[in-house]
Amino acid sequence: MKRHVLYGILALVFATNALAQSITVEFWHALGDPKRSGWIQQKADAFNKANPNIKVVPAYKGSYPDTLQAAILAARQGKPPALVQIYEVGSQLALDSGIFQPIGAIGGLDYSDYIKPVLNYYTIGGKVNSIPFNSSSPVLYYNKTLAKKAGLDPSVPPTTYGSLLRACAKVAAANLGVKCFGFNLHSWFFEQWMAEQGAPLVNNGNGRKGRATETLLTSTAAKNILNWIKEMNDNGYYTYTGKFEDWDGSDAIFTSQKVVFHVTSTADLGNISEEAKKSGFEMGVSLLPIADGVQRNGVVIGGASVWVTKGITPQQAEAARDFILYMTNTENMAEWHKLTGYYPVRNSSIDLLRKQGWMAEKPYQLVAFGQLLKTQANEATAGALIGPFQQVRRIIEEAIQKVLTGTSVDKALEEAKSRADAAIREYNASVK
Amino acid sequence: MRENSVFRNRLLPWVLLFPTLVILAVFLYYPALETLRLSLFRANFVFQTSEYAGLRQFADLLKDPAYHQSLFQTLVFSALVVVLGLSASLSLALLANQKVRGARLYRLLLIYPYALSPAIAGTLWLFIFNPEVGVVNQLLESSFGIKPRWLDNPFLAFGLVVFAAVWKNLGYNIAFYLAALQNMPKELLEAAELDGATPFQRFRRVILPLLSPMTFFLVFINITYSFFDTFGLIDILTKGGPVYGNTGITTFLVYRMYLDGFENFRTGVAAAQAVLLLVMVGGITLLQFRTGRRVHYGS
Repeated sequence: MKRHVLYGILALVFATNALAQSITVEFWHALGDPKRSGWIQQKADAFNKANPNIKVVPAYKGSYPDTLQAAILAARQGKPPALVQIYEVGSQLALDSGIFQPIGAIGGLDYSDYIKPVLNYYTIGGKVNSIPFNSSSPVLYYNKTLAKKAGLDPSVPPTTYGSLLRACAKVAAANLGVKCFGFNLHSWFFEQWMAEQGAPLVNNGNGRKGRATETLLTSTAAKNILNWIKEMNDNGYYTYTGKFEDWDGSDAIFTSQKVVFHVTSTADLGNISEEAKKSGFEMGVSLLPIADGVQRNGVVIGGASVWVTKGITPQQAEAARDFILYMTNTENMAEWHKLTGYYPVRNSSIDLLRKQGWMAEKPYQLVAFGQLLKTQANEATAGALIGPFQQVRRIIEEAIQKVLTGTSVDKALEEAKSRADAAIREYNASVK
Repeated sequence: MRENSVFRNRLLPWVLLFPTLVILAVFLYYPALETLRLSLFRANFVFQTSEYAGLRQFADLLKDPAYHQSLFQTLVFSALVVVLGLSASLSLALLANQKVRGARLYRLLLIYPYALSPAIAGTLWLFIFNPEVGVVNQLLESSFGIKPRWLDNPFLAFGLVVFAAVWKNLGYNIAFYLAALQNMPKELLEAAELDGATPFQRFRRVILPLLSPMTFFLVFINITYSFFDTFGLIDILTKGGPVYGNTGITTFLVYRMYLDGFENFRTGVAAAQAVLLLVMVGGITLLQFRTGRRVHYGS
C-alpha cells in the first residue's frame, strides 16, 4: 500500500516535470453539470491536441460566488488560474479584487465579430475586460393552445404591460381553471424591465462612469414595473412558487399548463420546448413585454464571461487568450448555442446557424436573436455595475414580494432604496 | 495503590496525541481563532482589506432589527422543532414498540427519512408544495377549492419549514427512543401493572421517567440540529424567504451568516455572526452540563 503511494507520488513528480516544459492554462468555471462541463473539457482536449505546447486544464469550482472566492484566494497565494468564469453580478467584484487584467491588454484581439450589446456589458471604462461566454436574456413564452381556448389570437402575443393585462382579463373570463402569467421572483427580470425603459438601476451612468453611490429604485421606471406586477397579482393573474429565484418551479408551472404566459431566460428555450411537446401544447415565444408608452431599449445581456488573471506569465496570458478565442470561435459558439440555448455571442455564429437551417428548425430562436440584435447600446442596457450586487438583488426581490403580499409600491421601493443604498455605502467604505 | 501508572514515560502520551492535536489545530483551532480575529475587523474578502473595527460589528449586529428578528425566529423554530419533534417521535416509538406483525417493517419505514440528504428532502417538499402543480394543492383544490401559496405566505412557509425539519429528524429520534424502550426493565412495568396502574399512569410514572436520560440527550441533539443542520433544507426549500418585516421569515441565524459570508462577501460581519453563534452554542453546552446532573440515569 505504502509503496503504491510512493510510486504514485514519483509518477506525479515526473508528470509535473514533463509538463513544466509546456504552458499550463487553468480554467476555473462554475458549470458542474456533465452536459456543459463535458463540452468545455472536450474543447480543451481538442485545443491541447492542436497546440502540443499548451495544456488547458478546466476545473469546476462550485457556484459562481465559490469560483470567484477560490480564484481570489489562489491569486493571493501567488497561484492564480489563468482563466476564470465570472458571473455578471460579480463583474464589479472581479474589477475591485484587482486580480484580473483586461483581456484587451494582452493584445491580438478583434472584437468586430462580437454582438455589440453583449460586448457592451463587458466593456468597462473603454476597455474590454472579458470575453462573453454564456449569455442569455428573458423572453415571453406562451401556451398557444390555451391562448386559443381563451379566445386570444396566438399570432399576436402581448408586447406591453397593458396588452398583457387585457389578455389576462380574457384568460380569467374564459374560466379555464388556470392562472394567466408567471415568472420566478428574481431581480434579474426587474433589471431587464428597467433597461427596456432606458432606465439605469444605479447612478453614475449605471456605475460605469464612476463607482455607483446610490440606487435609482424610486424612479418612475421602477414604479411602472411594480405597479404592473401589483395589478397582475391583485387581479389573481400572477402566480409563482413563493420561493426566491425558483427557476425550475416556475418552469414546471408553465410546462404543466397552469399558466398561459411565462417569462424566463432564452437559455431554457430548448428544454421548455421539449417539455411543451411532452405536455401536448404548442409553445409560442415573443419579445419581453415592456412598460406602456416607452420606446423599447432592449435587454441587458446576462450570463457569465471569462476573465484573465494578472499574476501569470505573458506566455500563459497569450495561451489563455488563444484558448478562449478558440472556445468562442464561430463554429464552437454555434455548437454551444445548440447544446445549451445560450446566445452564440458572435455575428458570424448566427450567420452559420442560419446557413445550417437552425432557424427554420427552431423558429422561436429568431425572436431571441432579434431581441438581442435590436438592443440599443446605452448605459441602461449595458447593465449596472454594483459591488454588493447580490445583496441589492435580494433587497429588490424582497421589495417585490412585499408588494405581492400587500405593501404599497411606494413604501416597498423607498425601503428597498434605503437598504440597497446602505449596502452600497458599506461596500464603498471598504474600497481603498 | 497508584492509579496513574499506565504511562511511565511523560513524553509518550504527547507523541501519541500529536497527530490528533495537529489535525485539531489545523482544522479547528486555527480557523476558530481566525474567525475570532476577523470578527474584530471590517474585512472584505474581495479587496482583502481589513480595518480594525473593535467590537463595532458586534454592536451593529446587536442593534440591527433584522438580526433580532433572525434570532427570535431561530429560537421559535428551535423550540417548535424540539417540542413537536420529540413528542411526535416518542408517540411513534411507543406505537412501533408494540408487538404486532410486521413491526420491523414499520420501524424501518419510520426511520428512513433520516437517510435522505437534506437537499433531496428539500426538493421533495418543494415539489409537493408547489402552489400550481404540487400534489398538496391539487388535493386541496379538488376537495376544498383552495390553493394556498405555501411559500410566500410567511406563516404557512414558517409552518412548512418547521414541519419539514421535524419530519426530517423523526427517524433519528425514533431510533433512539425505540432503543431506550426496548432496553427498559420489564419488571418495573410488570410491577406497575400488578399494582393496578392504568396504561396512562404507567406511561406517566414509569416509562417517561425512565426515558428521561434519552429525552435529555435528544433535546440537546435537536437544538443543535435546528440551529445548524437545517441549512440545506432551508436553502433548497425557501432560500430564507418569504420576507416578513425586516428579513426573510426562514432566514435563521446560520442562513444569515451564509448569505453574508458566501454570497455577499461581507467576511467580517459573517465572522462576527459566527462568534455570536459560538457563544450561543457555548451557552447551550453549559446548560447541558448544568442540568445534566439532575437527570436520573438509574443505578
